[in-house]
Amino acid sequence: MILSRVKPAVGVETQVSISEKKKNQTKVPRLEEYLQQRDYLGALTLLEFQRNVGEKEEHADLWIGYCSFHLGDYKKAMEEYKSLTMKPDCPVDVWVYLACVLFFLGLYKDAEEAASKAPTSPLQNRLLFHLAHKFNDEKRLMGFHQNLEDVTEDQLSLASIHYMRSHYQEAIDIYKRLLLQNRDFLALKVYVALCYYKLDYYDVSQEVLAVYLQSIPDSTIALNLKACNHFRLYNGKAAEAELKNLIDISSCSFEFAKELIRHNLVVFRGGEGALQVLPPLIDVIPEARLNLVIYYLRQDDVQEAFNLIQDLVPTTPQEYILKGVVNAALGQEIGSRDHLKIAQQFFQLVGGSASECDTIPGRQCMASCFFLLRQFEDVLIYLNSVKGYFYNDDTFNFNYAQAKAALGNYKEAEEVFLLIQSEKIKNDYVYLSWLARCYVMNQKGRLAWELYLKMGTSSDSFSLLQLIANDCYKMGQFYYAAKAFDALEKLDPESNYWEGKRGACVGIFQLILANKESKETLKEVLPLLRNSGKPPG
Amino acid sequence: MERTDRRTDPRRLDNQPYDESLEVVDSEEVASVSSPTPRGQRQSFSRRSREGRGLMSANSSSDEFEEDQKPQRTKEPIGRQPGASPNEEEEEEEEDEEEEDDDSDEDDTDDDDEPGQAPEGAYDPADYANLPVSTEVKELFQYITRYTPQSIELDHSLKPFIPDFIPAVGDIDAFLKVPRPDGVTDALGLLALDEPSVKQSDPTVLSLWLSEETKQHGATELKKVTSVASPQSIPRAVDSWVESISALHRSKPAASVHYGRAMPDIDSLMQEWPGELEELLGRLQLPPARLNCSLMQYVDLVCALLDVPVHSNRIQSLHLLFNLYLEFRDSQHFTRRTQT
Repeated sequence: MILSRVKPAVGVETQVSISEKKKNQTKVPRLEEYLQQRDYLGALTLLEFQRNVGEKEEHADLWIGYCSFHLGDYKKAMEEYKSLTMKPDCPVDVWVYLACVLFFLGLYKDAEEAASKAPTSPLQNRLLFHLAHKFNDEKRLMGFHQNLEDVTEDQLSLASIHYMRSHYQEAIDIYKRLLLQNRDFLALKVYVALCYYKLDYYDVSQEVLAVYLQSIPDSTIALNLKACNHFRLYNGKAAEAELKNLIDISSCSFEFAKELIRHNLVVFRGGEGALQVLPPLIDVIPEARLNLVIYYLRQDDVQEAFNLIQDLVPTTPQEYILKGVVNAALGQEIGSRDHLKIAQQFFQLVGGSASECDTIPGRQCMASCFFLLRQFEDVLIYLNSVKGYFYNDDTFNFNYAQAKAALGNYKEAEEVFLLIQSEKIKNDYVYLSWLARCYVMNQKGRLAWELYLKMGTSSDSFSLLQLIANDCYKMGQFYYAAKAFDALEKLDPESNYWEGKRGACVGIFQLILANKESKETLKEVLPLLRNSGKPPG
Repeated sequence: MERTDRRTDPRRLDNQPYDESLEVVDSEEVASVSSPTPRGQRQSFSRRSREGRGLMSANSSSDEFEEDQKPQRTKEPIGRQPGASPNEEEEEEEEDEEEEDDDSDEDDTDDDDEPGQAPEGAYDPADYANLPVSTEVKELFQYITRYTPQSIELDHSLKPFIPDFIPAVGDIDAFLKVPRPDGVTDALGLLALDEPSVKQSDPTVLSLWLSEETKQHGATELKKVTSVASPQSIPRAVDSWVESISALHRSKPAASVHYGRAMPDIDSLMQEWPGELEELLGRLQLPPARLNCSLMQYVDLVCALLDVPVHSNRIQSLHLLFNLYLEFRDSQHFTRRTQT
């Protein structure tokens, strides 16, 4: 009987099964049949029908509560249990059931109150254990921990706390031990797969998960996890295909995990529909807020991203990283040292942690931290260690090239700068000025000059001229130095650029004499000297 | 290296306001009131706050840095005066300045990419010293070195890496679950995940079916009528509804209609026509639907032909007419006859 519950109900539409029942047996199906198929909606309909007709199953109210709970309709379950507790002959255990329901509704205070009215039981202890975790009450957590016994349910509850606290290896140990004792506890395979997923071992997760899916191919949780593994291992398309499959096999009245699926569809589609789907899911699905922040960051709406995340107290590496990223972006945008300081601290925390120091995001964090500290040698160490993953990544290349240029490696810096495709970055003055410097340092003054010519007149273009004039002078590219000084003189007649221009012109003369510049250039230089307001020296 | 930076560098700033604040007496009075003693003791730390350095350079972990930074910038000029006499301070200052000069050089090499030494490929007048030119021209060349190009510091901008979107996998079963009321273990979360099956009965269809099956009509009024928000986008929902409802109807006996006035029963209507009529019908064509008359008249015509009485309500007559038709259509006797 128990084994039959594991047997999948493959491809049998509910409607068909009704008519089949109809053919085989004209009598009304029993509750047990629905429960075994985990068709709780069917069970509930039957129970409510019986309640309305007057032929009551024993403990019908409790059964309705049970079915609503396992269906995931906690609100309905709460109403059922609450009305039960009003009755004089209410069984005392109802209080702990109510507490469980309240817990899943996120009403932790109410859950604790309800649990306190229930008699002591292992379930009550487990619930209080989890509540203590929610309240961050370490002392009580330890107390309830000690009450846990070496029985399956308690151990599994403990493992789930390990999971919630990101202690995945400890959780895996518990599951593996229990699996050794009970080979047929297939659900534990999924729990192990979830842990491996969190540990970034997506292929291992996939392997363990396959065992469960082989036996129960239409499990929502397992298929969703499979989709997530595909997302990490391959791409959003592969993940979406997996989720589509799940949607196709589920009947229309199926509501369980609908929010999770909607959420993940946004993720797999690269943020499509984020603004419609994610806001109502904030604080329901923990990742929803983070994903909305990521969405805003991708839209360059840093302020909105900051508003969303500023009150979040980070606990997971992902949250620390995202807070760091938002603070770094905002700090640079509004020039706030406080934000940059926070960013740098968070980056350091994640990048230096044992669990993240060898992950790609961890390395990116350390690189960002050192970048904010302007320690570019260290930036390069970390960026070099992950550059294989970011060959065509504009963001990565922008930072990488700046670090190289900052250390005087202009040749490679120029190459990397030129890999960047994003128009936004290419119009950023930081990009233009550093690229111009690289050009000049690599004896390509002409290209730097062309960068200037392409810019509209602005304070930035004025700064770029000064950069070109002085850097070219320094590098002995006197022709472009002279041109730049001449342009500066025209733009800003008040200041004195004469010395620079004169020196540059003489420099050209010298280059011509050394046969390093064609004689023709002289024709261009003379008018430059004549243009000047100052008397020729 | 960092430490020396921090210690020496900021002093330069501290000194500046001090140098400029001429009204020593006044400010001393103010200071003695406003600034608590610890400030005097912490002078050397407080000096660290300094603007104008590269962003946060050289501060990797110091707490003091954070604490000091904000409040002190404003109070600095007055705050640090109580304590040491001006003379002592001045001596210190001189030392500081020396140190500071050294350090600021080092600083530059750290922060700048253009250190003291010239970058590779930089202009070097020595390369041209041997050009065969007149002294006049050589003198002219000196104009080149007379201008020293400025070192222009460029801003850096960290483009923060934006993480990938994060899919949600949910949490692991915590075994906070309601047991079965009958005390039977359900093994949910052990043998199989505690999740509802993807196949859930449609409550509306099921309750319709239940009331049909138990003949408890009316006991369950349709609690909710589901509607499909955008049928074109999810045709599946509509299809499955139509499919399940027609399945339900197939399983039902035909609905009976109570006629307003007495009607002949089907069997009597199915009796054979008199022989003459039968013979006549074989030769004549039945009035076609194209007949030039109104629908009402046509209905009357057909009903009359088939002995179906027409009272005030034609609908009831038509109902009987179609029932008659269904009866013939479904009758095995007649289907066999038409086939042969």
